[in-house]
Amino acid sequence: MKTLRPLFIFLSLALAGSYAFALEPVPWNNKDHAAEFKYFQESAAFTAEGWAALIPEGQERALQAAKQPALERQEAIKAYYSAAMAKWSSTALRDYTAKTKEADIKAVHLWLGKEKAADFSRKLALTHSALKKARAERLSDKDALALEPYLLPEAIADLRALKAASEALNNRSSGEAPKGPGSRSTAALDKFAGPDPSKLGADSFAKLYDNMSASGADPVVAGRGQYAAGAARPGAAAQLTAPATRTPAFAMPGVKSAPAAATVPTGTAKSGGLTSDAYGITIYTSGAQQPQTFRKGEDAVAAIRRMPDGSITRIVFYGHGGPGLQAVGPFDVDAESAGIMLKGKMARGGVVQFAGCNTSSVGGPTLNPAVGLSILARRLLYFSLPYFQDRFGGTPSDEARQQWSRTWNADLARDTSLNLRGSVVCGYRTFGLVPGRLPGVTAIIGNQEATTPGYVAGKKACYQDGREVPAQ
Amino acid sequence: MIDLEVAIEALLLLGVSFAPLAAGIILRRKFRPADAAGSAAAAPVTGAQKMGRLAGNILFWGGILGILFMIVLFLHFKGKI
Repeated sequence: MKTLRPLFIFLSLALAGSYAFALEPVPWNNKDHAAEFKYFQESAAFTAEGWAALIPEGQERALQAAKQPALERQEAIKAYYSAAMAKWSSTALRDYTAKTKEADIKAVHLWLGKEKAADFSRKLALTHSALKKARAERLSDKDALALEPYLLPEAIADLRALKAASEALNNRSSGEAPKGPGSRSTAALDKFAGPDPSKLGADSFAKLYDNMSASGADPVVAGRGQYAAGAARPGAAAQLTAPATRTPAFAMPGVKSAPAAATVPTGTAKSGGLTSDAYGITIYTSGAQQPQTFRKGEDAVAAIRRMPDGSITRIVFYGHGGPGLQAVGPFDVDAESAGIMLKGKMARGGVVQFAGCNTSSVGGPTLNPAVGLSILARRLLYFSLPYFQDRFGGTPSDEARQQWSRTWNADLARDTSLNLRGSVVCGYRTFGLVPGRLPGVTAIIGNQEATTPGYVAGKKACYQDGREVPAQ
Repeated sequence: MIDLEVAIEALLLLGVSFAPLAAGIILRRKFRPADAAGSAAAAPVTGAQKMGRLAGNILFWGGILGILFMIVLFLHFKGKI
C-alpha cells in the first residue's frame, strides 16, 4: 500500500491542479471565446462589468451554455450576409430595402466586423437612393453602372423602367392604354411593399454604421438570437429578427414515422433471416407528407431525376459505410456520385444523411471511451489491416502506407457538402450501432429489410459547404 | 522499417483496449478481499484499500466491456451485425 501512496497523492494533486487551472477567470472578450462573447453582447446577457463580477465557475458555465448557440448564430449571420451581398433580383431588392432593420446591420457589424457591415450598409444606402431616384426620374447610365456590383441586370433594367411603368399605370387609370418599357416586368418594383424609400432613413444607414459602437460597452440587441437558421434566401430577406423555426438536433427519421410505401410497402419487405439485411434510400420532398423509400439505388436515382429542382428537403442513405463510401446494399455512393445524383435537386438547407459507419472523419480528441475505441478500431480496420493485406499482395510499403494514410480518415460528409453547396450533409464519426440490426432482435421486430435506420448510436457530424455545422 | 512502424502501431492500438483490463487485474490482486480479511485481526481495511479494490473492479469490468465492444465493432465491420 505504501508503494501506491505516492501515486495516489500525485494523481490527486494533478487533478486538483488541473481543476484549479481550468477555473481561472476568463477576461471579457477573450479571443478564445470570441463567438460566445459576441453572443453575450448581442443578447445583452452580460456587460464587461457584470462578467468581471462573476466567479470563475459561473463564467465557465455561462461559456459552456453559450458555446453551441453562439456558433449557430455565427453561421446564421454568415449565411445571411452571404445572401445579402449577392446580386439582388427585383424581388430581393424589394425585400431587403423594405425589411432590413438597423439591428440587422448591427448584427453583421458585431459578428463579421466593421468592414463587412460597411459594405452591407453601403449597398443598402445605394439601392435605397437608386430606388428613390427611379421613382422620380429615369436612371442614367452612370446610375446603372454604379448598381452593377449589387443588382442583377434584370433588376437594374426594372429600376430603369420604373418611372415609365408608373406613368403607364397612371395613364391607364385615366383611361389610356398602358405603354412604355417593362410595364409587366416592373410590376414587382411598382408594388414596393415598404414605405416610401425616402422615409426609410436610407441615408442614415451609413451614418448609423460609422457612429456605431459594438465594443461590448453597449450591448447590441439585434435579433437576440431569434434568427431562423438557414434563412439565407433572398425571398426571405432581411429576416435576422424573424422568429426561429428549428428542428431538433439529432432528429433521425425514425421507423415510427411510417416510411411511405412508394416502392417498398411496409410489411411485405420482410425476410426470414436472423440477421439484418436493412438498407435503403429515403427521400423527403417539400409538399409531400410521406417520404419515398427505395431498396434499389438505381430506382432512387431514377426517381430523383424526375423530381423538380430544389424539392428534396432530406435524403437518408442507409446501409454499411466506411471512410469515404456509403453502401446501400450493392449500390455504392461516394462524394462525387452523391454530388452528381443530387445536383440542383436539394432544397436550400436540405439535409443529406449518410446513415452508415465512419462516413465522417474521426474529428478532434475525445474523452468518451466508446468513441475512443471506435477511432482505435477504425485505424486498425481501415489502416493497419489493409496495409498488411497490400504488403502480402506485393505492394511497396511506402505506397501502401501513403494510400491507407490518406483514406482511413476520409470524410464523406464533408467532401459531399463541397459538391452540394448550400445543403447540410451529415455522417457518423464513429461506427454507428443500430439496435434493430442485432441478430435475433431484427427477427423479432421483423425489420430485416428496413430502409430507414431508426435510432443510431454514434457520433454524428454535419457539414455545410465544407464547414462543420450543428447536427441536424 | 515502415512495416515495423505499422506493426508496432497496430500492436499498441490493440494493447490499448487490453490495458484497462490488465491494470484492473493487477489492482484486484493487490487488494484481494481475502488478504484484507486475513489481516483484519491485525489491521482493519482502510479506505485506500477499498478505493484500490473499487478502481480495480472498474478497470477490470470496463476493460472487458471495451474488448466486447471492439468485438462488436469488428463483427459490424465484417457485416455480421
